[in-house]
Amino acid sequence: MWTLKLALHYLFPKGRVGTFFTWISIVGIALGVMVLTIVLSIMNGFDKTIHNKLIQINGQIKILSSSIVEDCTQWMHTLENFEGVSHVTPFVQGIALVQHGDHVQFPRCLGVDEKTVQTVLPLNSFVCSGDIADLSRGIFLTKGLAQTLNVNVGDTLDIYSPLSLEAIKRDEVLLPQELPIVGIFETEWAEVDKNTLLCSLETLQDLYGLDKGVHGFSLSAKTGTSIQQLCLKLNAHLPKSLRAYTWMELDADFLYILKLEKAMSFFVLLFVILVACFSISSGLMSSVVRKTREIALLRIWGARRWQIAALFCWQAAFLSSIGILLGFMGGVGVLHYRNCVIRCLTGLIFPKDFLWNFYSFSNLPVAYAWQDFALVGSLTFIIALLAATIPALKASFSWVTRSLRSE
Amino acid sequence: MNEVLLTADKLTKFFASSKTERFCLWHDIDIEISEGESMAICGESGSGKSTLLFALGGLEDVDSGTICFCNQMIYRHSNPHISGISYIFQHYYLIEELSVLENLLIPVRVMGKKVDACVKNWAHCLLLELGLEKFSYQLPKTLSGGERQRVAIGRAFMMNPRLILADEPTGSLDEQTSLRIAQMFFSICQKFKTSFILVTHNENFAMQTNKYYRLEQGELKRCK
Repeated sequence: MWTLKLALHYLFPKGRVGTFFTWISIVGIALGVMVLTIVLSIMNGFDKTIHNKLIQINGQIKILSSSIVEDCTQWMHTLENFEGVSHVTPFVQGIALVQHGDHVQFPRCLGVDEKTVQTVLPLNSFVCSGDIADLSRGIFLTKGLAQTLNVNVGDTLDIYSPLSLEAIKRDEVLLPQELPIVGIFETEWAEVDKNTLLCSLETLQDLYGLDKGVHGFSLSAKTGTSIQQLCLKLNAHLPKSLRAYTWMELDADFLYILKLEKAMSFFVLLFVILVACFSISSGLMSSVVRKTREIALLRIWGARRWQIAALFCWQAAFLSSIGILLGFMGGVGVLHYRNCVIRCLTGLIFPKDFLWNFYSFSNLPVAYAWQDFALVGSLTFIIALLAATIPALKASFSWVTRSLRSE
Repeated sequence: MNEVLLTADKLTKFFASSKTERFCLWHDIDIEISEGESMAICGESGSGKSTLLFALGGLEDVDSGTICFCNQMIYRHSNPHISGISYIFQHYYLIEELSVLENLLIPVRVMGKKVDACVKNWAHCLLLELGLEKFSYQLPKTLSGGERQRVAIGRAFMMNPRLILADEPTGSLDEQTSLRIAQMFFSICQKFKTSFILVTHNENFAMQTNKYYRLEQGELKRCK
């Protein structure tokens, strides 16, 4: 393996820690790998956080009805006994007009059964003040909605349901329900937190005139059960008016955009690695030109063409391997201190709540995926090797006699 | 009588000066060199001395004629390596990243042979012979021109060649150093009974060989 040894000597000559070309190439690759590692890991972090949040907000499976589900109790019983289903909770949802003094809003209202809701949706973990058990006495508002309406726990809200509009058509006046605010909650999901009102199932049934009817059910699956499989089984058994959706199906567009964003980031940042590999190629090419006589001598001593090519491919392999390793280490290191970095940057450039306002997160989430590391590492290695093939081929086909002429 | 090592018979070489024109560099050249024999080829710059030397080593094509080394025909083919032939060049061509000792060992490694204690001993012997023992672990850049050429000579002897083709080995050295290096080279060749063909401008060196030729106007004329 003299090619391996000589390649190492070319990169790290005796008495030196490496040539300028060696370190500039390693730094180029390391930077590319580091940027890719950071971006992909943050993307994974966002994905994971968003997935968890979507499950917490919607439940693992949601059964939606095209009409009002009248026999709620019977369906609850049927669904609870369905194989793979752990817990079930009914819900009613819709829009209402709320008023407090001069402030008027149209929040999304969610009516839940306070006895069963905690088994499917971890509402307690969202509560800032109040107790979910008090839902029968009043309503919960999200932090954002409470701020918009300028209300707090203990205040009351006038709630007008869509039934009021029907009453107006009949020249009747339907008085609003006056409900006390018993709690404030925050899901850290901006879309929900901006404008959501939580109340008991009975309250919303009353507001919408549904009697005992509900709009659907939220389900949680037993541990180890495939949500997709359970959803398929449910749809096979449910009547056409009811359809089960997994949390992924409910937010399919959003999740697709997340995937697309990750793929696009990977594609764009791959160019950093391409540029670094081109610099390796150009560095190796100048090395080939500088060492034509040495190459000719190696050929005279019996080196085969492939061995000469290998001599330069080894160099690319070493440079990329060290670069990949340093890139991963640098990436993980930066990610470890990401929140300090972000706090410093946002503190300097953006308002304090910038991240929360735009991305619904105050801290950058990170998740490491070995698949990403493997993909980035192997792609970088392959690109570096491909970049080395041009100088390697030039070296292996260089003209021995011409190189050695002194005249 | 010593075994004939290399014979060249009626060698002719043309060079294309343009797409349509060709001129004859040398023609009908006959050479014979036996084991332990030395030969020098002198001539003006551009006379084709180096081309002839490379042709004898199979590195350059000839347009007609045959070359035999150890009773085997030499053709220019994809692998320019011929076992038993070593080269020394004017500009040393040492590998700057390797130590002096490693520069001597690299041909052994390239040939796929194991660098064992025996090979290392041989390398140290050569370095001792050339007065380079103390520079064994230094890089070539720390050596003078003469010392570098001595390393190149040592490297040429590493594989125990039967024939050394030396292309102006003292061409880039001053007169005094040239003389010292040439004497060293001659004495080592004599000691190891290694044949050599020396291409040189220096007639004094040429006179010290067994056969002295001049390459003039495409013809090889024997002077000694």
